[in-house]
Amino acid sequence: MLLALLPALLIMAAAFLLPMAGLAVESFRLFVPGRVGAAADAPFTLANYGDLLNRPFVGLFGETLRISILATLAGMLIAYPLAWHIVRRWSRRVRTLAIGLMVMLLLLSMLVRTYAIELTFGSVSIFRPTLKLLGISPNSGWYIECLVGAGLLHYIVPVATLTLLGTVQNVDPRLVEAAQSLGAPAWRAHLTVTLPLSRAGLVGAFLIGLTFSISAFVIPMVLGKGRVLFLSNSIFNRFSELADYPSGAAISIVMLVVSLLLVVAVSRLAAPRRRPA
Amino acid sequence: MSARLGDEISRVVVWAVMLLALLFLLVPLLVTTLMAFDARSYLGALPPPALSFRWFVNCFRQDALVTGLRISLALGVLAAAISSVAGAGAAIALDGAKFPGRGLLLALFVSPLVVPAVVTGFALLLALSQAGILNGFVRLLFGHVIITLPYTVRATLASLAGRDKRLVEAALVLGATEAQAFRSITLPLIRTGIVTGAIFAFAVSLDDVAVSTFLTDPTTYTLPVALVSAMRASFDLTIAAAAVLLMLVTALLIFVLDRAVGFDRLIGQGMFRT
Amino acid sequence: MTPNLSRRRLLTATGLLALAGPALFARRAAAATTLTAAEWGGDVVEAMKQIAAAQQNEAMNWVLFQGGAGSILPKIKAAWPTVDYDYVAGWEGSLNSMIAEDWLETISVADIPNLADIPAALVLKNAKGEWKAVPRAVGGMYFGYRTDTAPLKVTSIDDLYSPKLKGAICWPGPTQSMMLQIVALAIHGGGDESNMEPGWKLMKDLAKSGNIGRIAVTDVDFTNSFTSGETSVGFFAEPSWAAVAKNFPITRLTKQAGMSTFLYQSAFAIMKNRPNKAATLDFVNFAISPAMNTLYGKVAGEAPLNAKATTPDALKHLSYTSDELAKYVHVPDYKVVLTSQDAWAKRWESDIAPLL
Repeated sequence: MLLALLPALLIMAAAFLLPMAGLAVESFRLFVPGRVGAAADAPFTLANYGDLLNRPFVGLFGETLRISILATLAGMLIAYPLAWHIVRRWSRRVRTLAIGLMVMLLLLSMLVRTYAIELTFGSVSIFRPTLKLLGISPNSGWYIECLVGAGLLHYIVPVATLTLLGTVQNVDPRLVEAAQSLGAPAWRAHLTVTLPLSRAGLVGAFLIGLTFSISAFVIPMVLGKGRVLFLSNSIFNRFSELADYPSGAAISIVMLVVSLLLVVAVSRLAAPRRRPA
Repeated sequence: MSARLGDEISRVVVWAVMLLALLFLLVPLLVTTLMAFDARSYLGALPPPALSFRWFVNCFRQDALVTGLRISLALGVLAAAISSVAGAGAAIALDGAKFPGRGLLLALFVSPLVVPAVVTGFALLLALSQAGILNGFVRLLFGHVIITLPYTVRATLASLAGRDKRLVEAALVLGATEAQAFRSITLPLIRTGIVTGAIFAFAVSLDDVAVSTFLTDPTTYTLPVALVSAMRASFDLTIAAAAVLLMLVTALLIFVLDRAVGFDRLIGQGMFRT
Repeated sequence: MTPNLSRRRLLTATGLLALAGPALFARRAAAATTLTAAEWGGDVVEAMKQIAAAQQNEAMNWVLFQGGAGSILPKIKAAWPTVDYDYVAGWEGSLNSMIAEDWLETISVADIPNLADIPAALVLKNAKGEWKAVPRAVGGMYFGYRTDTAPLKVTSIDDLYSPKLKGAICWPGPTQSMMLQIVALAIHGGGDESNMEPGWKLMKDLAKSGNIGRIAVTDVDFTNSFTSGETSVGFFAEPSWAAVAKNFPITRLTKQAGMSTFLYQSAFAIMKNRPNKAATLDFVNFAISPAMNTLYGKVAGEAPLNAKATTPDALKHLSYTSDELAKYVHVPDYKVVLTSQDAWAKRWESDIAPLL
């Protein structure tokens, strides 16, 4: 069985672990401004990491995490009922339409998608009169954060819905019917039956949404107006004409380690409790 | 009856949420279509004062875009195929018995998603150049496989999650070999996961700019890279037209698949068919 | 149509494509004199394509920058000493890094006769004084606004802080325009590129004022922000102003006392380790001839540097008499600017970004 793991492991080693190791090495090298990255014989140093031990960087990381987690949670709240309706409730035709819509949304170019959202909900959008009516300034900090979250949501919902299709399929619908026939209202039946049985799938979908959001670049760049920044925007700065690759590498490694720890922690939630046979 | 009331309220709430969500998902699609037909040569506030086909014409006129499309499609299919096979294998192995380090491996397989695409592309560029791999297509393939693998692993895992493992045990008891049990029970069940994983992989590969930027060489480049690099200082709405065309092709493909094979059956219905 | 048959066909086709894929798209052998050039997209590559067509000599393979000129740097560094490009276009920001890495051929008037018509002081040199890049045109980075939508006709730096401009300013991000916008603020505050404290203070005030609607991370950001009406006042480089000017009236503050303008050059950098050096030199020489340089200026929207070329009318805002040059244009010490980029970018992230 474990042999099936081999191809994936090989790919990970060759296309990810080795390059990341190379990146880690670069992150420990000294950067001399005006050069392109670290010179081949640059001395090793901890300065690139030391640079990150300040409030603004932690704040940046925190902002990235906060908006990502909120957007992913919202995505789950929408995707799960959607997945369930697709699998269990809707007719074959509607099901095909719904899945087709999700697939089309997936294939929508990220750049076009964000500009479309900007034109729909941004500060010069068709939405503007409504916003004015509600007294919301589309230029305010928190509205921009919401917009970035909305942008993330627009990608997370299709991905999560499609991922959860398989999970929902594995839940025996007769169990819910049984609960209802025993007197439970529908919402309670789902909460106590369907949801716990889908736990592992939900956590998996949540992780996809979360990791995508954390590493998002185009969405915060366009919708965040350069004012709501994610970590990848900060990394991008260093990979541009600045050519400070060591610093960019350092941020990336920190991001990788912390996010992995987060992923491991969240994954534990998926561990099923031992059920008496 | 308060139970009935609870039911009704929760039903209405769920429906409201789904309706709003669907609206939210659809409106940008419509706006994209408006952008694609916008006669103005710049990004302007809606609604467009005049419509035109120029961006669609531009899609086919530029050689770079046609080349890019060819390469993007080839990469998409190949990357999806490789990722799906490797990812499904990994998911099946990881879903099986618990072993030490399983949690870590699970996290590992999702880690390429955590790293921003810019970083993945840059790191791969350095590593592949040091390894002497200079062919643009091969490098792009490396990049696209690694950014799509997490999706296929996770999608397959999600469809394995919660399945009744006693079914396989029952089959074994009844005399099937491990392989037979796998082929006739597990594989059909996880079909949904594998197919959605493949779709994810294709979609991610087709849209990727950040990783591909680093890995292209002067004669090999992908469609999104060609579209984005054509924009310098001015936003080229060709990209919106390309997006609309892609959506049309997707819709057509789904329609054809539905007629030919039954979209339902392609995606898979799991164990409890309604 | 039986389902099984079409499914099989689909799978077979996919399998065949998968097998044939790499063979179909392997790199074809390049023609003998095909030059590979790395250029900016949009109007610039359009201009260069017209110049190449006029020469009728070589076939050109155009590789376009993804975003800024800096995007090509990691690819060159990764492949070094193998080089994929015969020449790379650049500006001070990217060229000086390439010069520091010693990736460029040394050039001279002997190799490129038309260089004689370009002021020698403009030629980018390395630490040893060797000539390393061939200047072709000049662009500007300056303040300006959309004449039809700006809430205030800006005439000085102080105007930027007016409450009328709430959310109306599009300000360049830390990787655009080498942070010369902050140098401009510094100059207003009595400092310059070597004494940036007044600039940082003014920048903080501007960030806190709420007048900045968008921080442009790429040049497309800026153009879109202006054309969609999101913002109407900004500081940016010539190509973005030109793109907006195509459809909207703009006022360029290139000759406004107190609001510094900065000039940058775009130039050809000829790469080492390439087999086609002679053909490349030939092409570059042709490109900076008076007629071609004029053509470049007209199409690409940058003021040609060849003394015998004519500056198009649309770029009159960039032609200065020596008095005007002294009054409106600030020529910073680029050594200071370039070596401070990293520190300034980090300072931006820690001091300014949280305030926006």
